[in-house]
Amino acid sequence: MRSWILAAGAAAIALTAPALADPNKGGGKGQGGGHQGHNQQAKADRGGGNADRGGGQAMRQSKPAKAERQVSVRPDRGRDNSPRKAGVEDRSPGKAREAKAGPGRGDKAVAVDGDGNDIRLVRRDWNDGVFFRNGRVPFGCPPGLDRKDNGCLPPGQAKKLLGAPLLAGFANDRIPVQYRNWYPDSDDFLYRTGDGFIYRVNRSNNLVDGLIPLFGGGGYYALGDPWPQPYNFYNVPTQYQSYWPNNGPYAYRYGDGAIYQIDPATSAVSGIVALLAGDLGVGSSLPLGYDVYNVPMAYRGQYYDTSDAWYRYNDGYIYRVDPTTRLITAVIDAIV
Amino acid sequence: MRYKIAYLAALSLPLSACDKAADNAPKSEAAKEAAGESTIAQGLGDDAGRFAAAAKAVGLDTTLAGPGPYTVLVPTDDAFGKLPDGALDNMMKPESRPQLTKVLTYHILSGAILAEDINKAIENGGGKTQLISVGGGTLTAAKEGDKIVVTDGAGGKAVVTAADGKHSNGVVHKIDTVLTPA
Repeated sequence: MRSWILAAGAAAIALTAPALADPNKGGGKGQGGGHQGHNQQAKADRGGGNADRGGGQAMRQSKPAKAERQVSVRPDRGRDNSPRKAGVEDRSPGKAREAKAGPGRGDKAVAVDGDGNDIRLVRRDWNDGVFFRNGRVPFGCPPGLDRKDNGCLPPGQAKKLLGAPLLAGFANDRIPVQYRNWYPDSDDFLYRTGDGFIYRVNRSNNLVDGLIPLFGGGGYYALGDPWPQPYNFYNVPTQYQSYWPNNGPYAYRYGDGAIYQIDPATSAVSGIVALLAGDLGVGSSLPLGYDVYNVPMAYRGQYYDTSDAWYRYNDGYIYRVDPTTRLITAVIDAIV
Repeated sequence: MRYKIAYLAALSLPLSACDKAADNAPKSEAAKEAAGESTIAQGLGDDAGRFAAAAKAVGLDTTLAGPGPYTVLVPTDDAFGKLPDGALDNMMKPESRPQLTKVLTYHILSGAILAEDINKAIENGGGKTQLISVGGGTLTAAKEGDKIVVTDGAGGKAVVTAADGKHSNGVVHKIDTVLTPA
């Protein structure tokens, strides 16, 4: 899941990823080059559940200088080569994550979603050079619980959420706009968010019967990784279900930015069938990196940029963007 | 709120390119690509064997054969050759799969992006523009002469040497250097 999700007032945590074979690379490098113009990025608040969230500026700490910023590597896996294991706690000491919050660079904006609801604002610093959505920045997770696959809860506790009623406090917390077209509320299910999870609530009994961690944050699953049991339900986003249906010879599961093929004999990952960016959602601002027109070839005749409207593609949908405000104003087509 | 959703029938999975190739033999890879018949996975090309092998090692071959669409910056075999000795071998080991996946996905962008789209954004951006990979890594694109140059999170640079390889599920641009996330 997109772990860049922030709520207003939540601390942002910066970290960088490990280098590969070259030990000299890595560390807190900033993004190449300076920044032109578009610092007007904001991520709409998802109404995610940590109790701290909701206050405004009170929680913010001043942003430390880059030199002081501790960089810590979520993929301990990367350093000690242990493969991703469900339920294995590897809380190495000293891997402190530094809360990085405070004024970002001009990424404040007001946003309403397609229903006209106010979406709380978040600040992001787009210039910190460590903007990795997938698994690198488990915003809002307390240190020690920022293990991937636990959504800020140890796996044992995550399991307890299944079969339980949705916490009353989350009843109205709709899931992030970037995922609303993936998991729309239906006659059978509601989707709500809180404490780092998306909850699927079965309307027949009002119990949670599916969990999707928002802050999985460990990077992509590797071939052979077992699929974590607490998250083992058919959660392929709606627009992709005809491609990767349930009850076929393979199981398909979404997690952390990809749809995986699971070998039912082993319950382990046997392939990545799709990569989902999770960047665009109605009511949010067009993120940095989407200035470039990316509409699939077959749709370019129909959807091309003008001064009145831009079009951008993400995860099976084409979105319309207001070029002046950079607000994503509508989903206008589904291509899968 | 209901969104108007239209499904385009034209975006169907490609029919077997092999049969067509037999009929119209010899059909070059370039011709097939131009016709958009092959997927990215099928059409990586003779100079991208290492990328193909790496993708397969982490299960991304399936991704690049799926509906996409993606835009992939594909380092050529020569590009992999520029890595430090042993680096590629290390990356290909099973225990390195998470890192390898991270590196490869850093080269994959959402949607279909042509060189002209990047050029336009560079112009509008006063000389550079950001790109963002599916995994969230950012890249900066700029022009050097008539070439597009991509700078990665670690400050490394790659030149796009062959742009706009069109496929049924996206676009391939060949680059001369492996990109490294920060």
